[in-house]
Amino acid sequence: MKKKICMLGAFAVGKTSLVERYVHSIFSDKYHTTVGVKIEKMQTAIGEEIVDLIIWDLHGEDEFQHVQLSYLKGSSGLIYVADGTRKSTLATALNLKEIAEKTIGKVPFILVLNKMDLQDQWEIDDLTLKDIEDKGIIVVQTSAKTGDEVKHTFQLLTKKMLDK
Amino acid sequence: MSSKTAESKTLDSLKDLMLKPEKEQIQRIEDRLDDPMVRAKEISQTLPEAISLSIINNNKLSRVIQPVIDESIKVSVKNNPKALADAIFPVLGPGIRKAISSTIMGMIQSLNQMLNHSFSIQGLKWRFEAFKTKKQFAEIILLHTLVYQVEQIFLIHRDSGIVLEHVVTKDAITQDPDLVSGMLTAIQNFVKDSFQTDDEDGLETLRIGSDRSVWIENGEQALIAAVIRGTPPLNLRIKYRELIEEIHIKSGAALKKFNGDSLPFSIFREQLKDGLHFQEKVNKKQISFLTWFIIFLILTSLGLWGFSLFKTNMMWTGYLERLKNQKGLIIVSAQKNQGIYHISGLRDPLAKDPLNLLQKEEEKRIKITTHWKPFYSLDPGFILQRAHKLLKPPSTIKLELSGNSILARGKASQDWIETFQKTALTIPGIDGFEEGLIQNIDKEKLNNTVKGLMAIKVYFENNSTNLVKEQEQRLTQVYQKIKAIQMLQFKLKEPLQIVITGHADSSGTEKLNLKLSRNRAENIFNYLTGLGINSSFLTISGVGNNKPLKKENDKDDRQYNRAVSFDTFYLLSTKGS
Ligand SMILES: Nc1nc2c(ncn2[C@@H]2O[C@H](COP(=O)(O)OP(=O)(O)OP(=O)(O)O)[C@@H](O)[C@H]2O)c(=O)[nH]1
Ligand SMILES: [Mg+2]
Repeated sequence: MKKKICMLGAFAVGKTSLVERYVHSIFSDKYHTTVGVKIEKMQTAIGEEIVDLIIWDLHGEDEFQHVQLSYLKGSSGLIYVADGTRKSTLATALNLKEIAEKTIGKVPFILVLNKMDLQDQWEIDDLTLKDIEDKGIIVVQTSAKTGDEVKHTFQLLTKKMLDK
Repeated sequence: MSSKTAESKTLDSLKDLMLKPEKEQIQRIEDRLDDPMVRAKEISQTLPEAISLSIINNNKLSRVIQPVIDESIKVSVKNNPKALADAIFPVLGPGIRKAISSTIMGMIQSLNQMLNHSFSIQGLKWRFEAFKTKKQFAEIILLHTLVYQVEQIFLIHRDSGIVLEHVVTKDAITQDPDLVSGMLTAIQNFVKDSFQTDDEDGLETLRIGSDRSVWIENGEQALIAAVIRGTPPLNLRIKYRELIEEIHIKSGAALKKFNGDSLPFSIFREQLKDGLHFQEKVNKKQISFLTWFIIFLILTSLGLWGFSLFKTNMMWTGYLERLKNQKGLIIVSAQKNQGIYHISGLRDPLAKDPLNLLQKEEEKRIKITTHWKPFYSLDPGFILQRAHKLLKPPSTIKLELSGNSILARGKASQDWIETFQKTALTIPGIDGFEEGLIQNIDKEKLNNTVKGLMAIKVYFENNSTNLVKEQEQRLTQVYQKIKAIQMLQFKLKEPLQIVITGHADSSGTEKLNLKLSRNRAENIFNYLTGLGINSSFLTISGVGNNKPLKKENDKDDRQYNRAVSFDTFYLLSTKGS
């Protein structure tokens, strides 16, 4: 079984870092912005079922560069990434969710708040978080730097895609 | 009859009672079967399923229906050509445009190649080939460029970019097909979005480097991407086009509800594999200049080596031939062993040194060891040479061979003649000798001295044994000659006696004259023995005037007979002079 998933979010939130951590178990402090799209592949298993995740790591959304919507086509799942130390990225992520659903319809997804290792700079309060969760959105806090919850996030999404 | 009617009535009511629902049902079915409208309605409901079943089942329906469609199109065209033209116009337009543009593209491509090749070394080579084979230049280019290999074919789910099936040639180096396919799809998406083409098909060809390209044939749900090295023929595209269409016909539904499970598409694997076309180059592998150069080097050194070997061999056989012709050498064996030539045989001590027979150049190439056993060659040249060496003849002697006899000719001393006599038969190869042609110098000297002595007369005074004055010179001569004769006769082993004869003139009595003449001879005898001449070689005689040296015509002639004369004879001699 092969599943295409996309990493979506504002620029520099750690989309590439999360994929690198998950696929290659590495992390770098250096920031190289993604141009266009980078595709990686990772095999995982849910119970008996072996799944090849084809991960499309898209470039970050900002005011100059909008996400190429056609990249979303054929996705079985989406990961929206926000940077917990920049509140605005959460809005971007939610906004992207609206756009994506308009483009390809509803598919399983997860909202990720990344950089949870930087708790002292954390900008997202529990109330905001609760509002979002109340809408039935699954939120996972991760750190690409420490690897916390990264594998779990992909695993969770895979499970959701298979259950659908 | 009535009972029968009643019976049947009760049966009918029973039937009604029991089978009423079924009866109505049958009635309805009968109605349905009888009413074409109802049937049409029903068939129209199941027709789509039936058709799709038929497609799965060998597409029998298409074949059956085809003549009907053909016929109806014909009728339609006949009755209302415009309707059909209107219908196909939207399809025809892009179709024709596409065909024309791909033809033009192809032409531009080959023109490009033609230009490229016109000015390259490759091009010049091909021009030469065209000239040589009397083919058109363009044909030659085609020959060289229409060479390709389809290395990989992807069957890709169009939306997700997920690989449904992937085939690859044995020796192509490939990346993870999922990643390649993903990137390909992303590029497709990017191009379509960026250039906002209204053409649904989007990207058709990607060029990578100078000779790699990706051909993309788009279908509605899936696409075929072929990674091709070289320049493939355009009709290959048609093949892929047909294949993607077939895939859609057979698995359109599965494609539509694709959820990541690519297993159902493995049925196309063989067909995709068939798409891995290739065309071999006519002249398979270009052998590089370096390869040629190395081959050339190897051949040259082989040639040189061979030539050197050949030359050495030639020299060797030449040398052997010379050795064989050499007098005084008998070759028993000649072999080459580990690069060294071994010669063994017999060698006359007088023969030339075989190693000296090697010329300078040969000496450099041929290493030789020799083992010789001495022997005497019976070659006449060698026998003569050997004779010279042993006899050491004086320059006045010439040695000759006559059969196995040696013959000496010319002048030689008694000493040498003796050596000759003694040694001749000891010379290997000689069993006889001939000395008759040798002039014995010593014998000649003896004869001459004897002659000289006999010419000398020593004169005496009248009636006296006193010598006439001033004859010292003459006496010395006599002494010297006799001394020489004595030495020579000793050497020659010829017992020569010297007779000293005294004479007297006619005056006086015979008795007195005999006495006087004998005294005169004795006088000389004493003189000679006094000087050391061995007396046993000397004989004295007095002849008076019985053997006058000159006829006495007057007084002065008498003096000639008052003298001593000399003569010789051999004692017990076998060889006379
Ligand atoms: N401390 C910390 N830094 C992170 C974490 N994840 C990413 N970063 C850093 O954030 C920067 C941006 O990370 P990327 O992964 O390149 O972000 P991106 O979302 O791919 O960015 P674009 O490709 O430009 O959209 C890099 O310098 C990372 O090192 C994290 O979990 N913790
Ligand atoms: Mg990135």
